[in-house]
Amino acid sequence: MAELLFELGSEELPARFVVPALDDIEKNFREQCAALNITFAEVKRFGTPRRLALLVTGVAEKTDDVTKEVQGPSVRAAFEADGKTPKTPAIKFAESVKLPVDQLKRVTTPKGEYLVANVEEKGRRTFELLPDVLNVCVRKINFAKQMRWGDVEQSFGRPLQWIVALLGSEVVPVTFSDVKSGRTTFGHRFLAPAAITIDTPGGYEAALEKAHVVADLTKRRAMLVERVASAAKKAGGTVLTDEALVDQVLNLVELPNPVVGTFEARHLDLPPEVLIQEMKSHQRYFTLTDAAGKVLPKFIAVSNTPVKDEALSVRGYERVLRSRLADGRFFFDEDRKSSLHSRLAKLERRSWIDKLGSMAEKSHRIQSLASYLAKAVGKANLVTTVERAALLCKADLQTGMVGEFPELQGVMGREYALHDKEPGDVALAIFEHYLPRGAGDGLPTQDAGALIGLADRLDSLCGLFGIGKKPTGAKDDFALRRAAITFIRIVTGRGYRFSLSAAIDQALAQLEPKFTDVKKKPTDAPLKEQVLEFIRGRLESTWRETHRPDVVDAVLAVGFDDLVAAQLRLEAISKYVGQSDFAPLAATFKRVANIVGKEAKDVTRQPVDGARLIAAVEKTLFSQVSTIDAAVMAAVKVDDYVGALAKVVPLKPFVDAFFDGVMVISDDAALKENRVRLLMQIAALFGTVADFSKIQAPE
Amino acid sequence: MYFQDLILTLQNHWAKLGCIVTQGYDTEVGAGTMAPYTFLRALGPEPWNVAYVQPSRRPADGRFGENPNRLFQHHQFQVILKPAPKNVQQLYLDSIRAFGIDPLEHDIRFVEDDWESPTLGASGLGWEVWCDGMEITQFTYFQKCGGYDCKPVAAELTYGLERIAMYLQGVDSLYDIEWVKGVKYREVFHENEVEMSQYAQRDSDAEQLEMLFKSYETECKRLIVEKQLPLPAYDFALKCSHTFNLLDARGAISVTDRAGYIKRVRDNAALCAEGYLKMRQKLDWPLCKTGWAVGEQLPMHEGKPASDMWKTISFEKKEKEAPRG
Repeated sequence: MAELLFELGSEELPARFVVPALDDIEKNFREQCAALNITFAEVKRFGTPRRLALLVTGVAEKTDDVTKEVQGPSVRAAFEADGKTPKTPAIKFAESVKLPVDQLKRVTTPKGEYLVANVEEKGRRTFELLPDVLNVCVRKINFAKQMRWGDVEQSFGRPLQWIVALLGSEVVPVTFSDVKSGRTTFGHRFLAPAAITIDTPGGYEAALEKAHVVADLTKRRAMLVERVASAAKKAGGTVLTDEALVDQVLNLVELPNPVVGTFEARHLDLPPEVLIQEMKSHQRYFTLTDAAGKVLPKFIAVSNTPVKDEALSVRGYERVLRSRLADGRFFFDEDRKSSLHSRLAKLERRSWIDKLGSMAEKSHRIQSLASYLAKAVGKANLVTTVERAALLCKADLQTGMVGEFPELQGVMGREYALHDKEPGDVALAIFEHYLPRGAGDGLPTQDAGALIGLADRLDSLCGLFGIGKKPTGAKDDFALRRAAITFIRIVTGRGYRFSLSAAIDQALAQLEPKFTDVKKKPTDAPLKEQVLEFIRGRLESTWRETHRPDVVDAVLAVGFDDLVAAQLRLEAISKYVGQSDFAPLAATFKRVANIVGKEAKDVTRQPVDGARLIAAVEKTLFSQVSTIDAAVMAAVKVDDYVGALAKVVPLKPFVDAFFDGVMVISDDAALKENRVRLLMQIAALFGTVADFSKIQAPE
Repeated sequence: MYFQDLILTLQNHWAKLGCIVTQGYDTEVGAGTMAPYTFLRALGPEPWNVAYVQPSRRPADGRFGENPNRLFQHHQFQVILKPAPKNVQQLYLDSIRAFGIDPLEHDIRFVEDDWESPTLGASGLGWEVWCDGMEITQFTYFQKCGGYDCKPVAAELTYGLERIAMYLQGVDSLYDIEWVKGVKYREVFHENEVEMSQYAQRDSDAEQLEMLFKSYETECKRLIVEKQLPLPAYDFALKCSHTFNLLDARGAISVTDRAGYIKRVRDNAALCAEGYLKMRQKLDWPLCKTGWAVGEQLPMHEGKPASDMWKTISFEKKEKEAPRG
C-alpha cells in the first residue's frame, strides 16, 4: 500500500473553475483505476486558486494477477483432417499464449469448435500504470474556458506552472505542455515564496499549512465562515447570509483573512439591495446587518494576505467602495428625476428579441394577457392594479442603475414606483413579477405580481416558439424550460383555475403579427400544440422527481388543461398506488381499457340500454355503475379526486365477475355494443382521475 | 510618487528586462491594445517585447472635467511580452514593487477577467489585478487577434496610470494627482477634458463624421487590396474606429446600426491583420532570427511549439475560402 499525491499547480484559476475541475479529475481517476484494476482506499481532494490536488490513500502497489480465456483459431483450421496433427495456426497460437499445443483447450461456439487457452495475466506495478492515468486526468479536465500560453499547443484553465506526482516517495513521470512532474510545490504566493519539496504524500497538507495555504476546501470554508462571523461580531453586526458569495470568495483566497471596513452612513438611504449589490458584485464584500436586519455602514472584505498593517489596506477597500457608492448614488438620484411612466417611450426603442419587437410591445402584450388571466382566475377586481403594474413592469430596464446592475431589475422598479407615488400594490407587483428569480426566492406573495409573471413567461414561451427558437437538447438560450417550470409552480402554488389552452390561444393571438415572416415547415405541429407539449414535458419531468413515472403518465394522459386539477389528480392517485389492493385494480381496469380501445370506435355513443342486459353479472355491474355515476361526477366537480376514486374502486369485484361471466365479443352485434358501452361508461368514471391503463401493474 | 516618476519607474523596470521602450502611437486609439505595437505585433511567430505609454481616447467617457474618476483621455502603460514568459506574473509583481506596492502590505490578487474586443476581432483570458480591492492592471493572455489564433501567446499588461497614481498619492480626484512637484494633473489636462467632452458629446458634426468614416473605410480597403500596404491601411482602420466612437458619443448611432458599424471596423482590422502577416511572411519573419526573449522561456516537453503553425499557413487559400465583403 502506498499513498499517491497528484497536484496541478497553476496561475490563479477563476474561482468558479476549482470545484468542477476537481470533480473531473476525481471522476477520471476513479474510472481509469477501475478499468485497470488499480485498487485504493480513499480519495481526498484539495483545491485553491493555485492548485488542484488529489491525495489517494491505500493505493495497491500492483494490480492482481488475472486469468483470462483467450480464443484462438477454429479447430478445423488449426489441425489436419485427423483433428490431431497441428497445422501452423495451432502452433502459432500455442506460441503466442506460451503453452504446448496439447494443453490448448477446445470450446464449442455457435460458429463451431475453437481453440482456447487460459492465460495468466500478471498484475502490473501501479507505478508503471500511473503516468497514463494521471496524464488523462490533466487532459480531460473540462474547464468552462480553456487557454493556451507561451508557445504551447495544449490548453488549461490558466497557465500550468507545476505538477507534483508522487507515489510513496517516488516521482511518477507526468508531462503536460511545458511542465514535467516533480516533487516541488509552492505555498502562499507572498508569505512563502520559496519552493517546497514534498518527500511523501502524507506530508503535503501540513507542508502547505506551514506555507500559509489551507488547501482542504471544507476546512478553508469553515475557517472563512468562522472568521467572517467573528469579525462581524467584533464589528457589532451579523453577516448577511450569502452562500454563493462564500463559495466564490472561498476560491479567491488560499488563506482567508477578513477585514472590516466602513462606508459613509449617508449612503444608507440607498435601497439595501443597491448597497448589497455594490458591495458584492464587483468587490465581493460581505454585508453586515444589525439585529433587526438593517444594513449597517460596514462591510467585510476577505484578503488573501494577512497584511502587515491592516489599517492601510482597509483604507484601500474603503476607497474603492466609496467611488462605487458614489456611482450608485449618482444613478439613484438621476433615475429618480424621471418617472417610470415617462420611460415607456424609451422602451419602444429597446429591442426585446429581434423578431419579437420592442420591450414596449412586450409590456403591452403582458398587460393584456395579465388582465385576461386576472379575469379567468376570478380576480377581476385586480384588473386595474394588474394593468398598471404590467405596463410599468419593464420600465426600470431604462434606468441607469439597472443598466449597471441588471440583477436589480424589479427591485429598482419597485423603489422608483414608490418614489413616483404609484400605489403600493403596483410597486410590489412590479417587483414580484420576476419571482422566483432563483433557488433562494419564494413565489410571488400577491396575485397581481403572480399574474403578471405568468403573462410575461407565457408571452416569452409563445413568442419564441413562434419564431422557431424553442429549446433543443441542451441548448436553451432563453431559459424557456425554467420559464415553463416557474409558470407551473406559480399556477399550482397559487391555485389558479383556468384553461391553459385558452390562455395560450390568447397569447398567440396577440403575437400573431410577429409571426408573419416566419417560415414554417409543413411538418411543424401547430404552435399551440408545441407549447402545450413543452409544458407537458416540464410537468412530466417535475412530477417524476417525486412520483412514479407510470402514475405521472396516467394522470397526464387524461389532460392538464386545468393544471391545478391535474396536480390534485396526481396527488389523489398517488395515495392509492401504494396500497395493496391497487395493483389488481389497475389490472382489471387495463382489461376494460383494452376492450374499449379496440371496440369503441365501432360503437355509437349512446347510453347503456338496461333492458338489453341479460346476464346477472352485467345487470349487477350496471346497477352498481349507475348508483355511483352521479356521486363520482359530483366529487370531481369539487376536486375531490380521492373521494371519486374511493367510489370507483369498489367496482372492481363487479367488473371481474362481469368478465368471468359474459363474453363481451358476441355474434349478436346489439348485445356486444351494449356491453362495450357499459365498459365505456366505467372507463369514463376512472378517466375522471387518470388513464389507469398506463399504470404498471406488478405481475 | 509623482505621476511622472510612476511612468519612469515602469519604463525602467521593463527596459531593464529587455523590452524596447517606444512612444505611444500617434493616431487616436481607445486603448493601448489598438496601437500597432500590440494589435499587429501580437500576430505571427515573431518575438516582441515592448513597453509604452498610450494616451487613450474614449469620447463617451468624457465628463467635462467634472467627474473625479472618469476621463475623455487617460493614460495606459502598456507592456507586451511575446512569447509570454513562464514567470510573467513574477515580473509583473516586481514592477508594482518597483513603484512602491508591497504585496506583504496590500492584498494583491489575480481575479478572473476575460477580455474581448468585437471591433478588433480579438480576445484573451486573464485577470484584473486587485490591490486592496481596486483594479490596478488588466493582465491578459492573447488568444485571438484580427480573427487569427495567437501562437505564441503574448501577455499584455495594461496599467491604469491615473488610478495607480491616485492610489499612491492618496488623492480622491485624479485632477489632484501631482504630475511633478507643484504641478497637478488639473493644470495639465483639465481644459483638454472640458473641450474634448464639449466637442465629442455636443459640438461634433455627425454628418461630417459619417462622411469621414466612409472615406477612412474606403481608403483602408484601397491600401490593403490595391496597394498591399498594411501599415498605412491600419492607420485608417484606427481612424474608422475613433470616428465610430465619436459618432457613438454623440448619440448618432442607433442600436440597430451599431452592430453594422462594429462589423465594418472589424472587417477592416481583419484585412490589416492578414496583410501584416503576409508582409512579415514575405520578409521571412525577421525577428525570429534575433533570439529576443524577456524572462524565463521553458522548452516544450510535449508536442511541437504552437508557433510552428505559421510555417505551413497559406494566406492565399484563406482568401479564396472566406471572401470578405
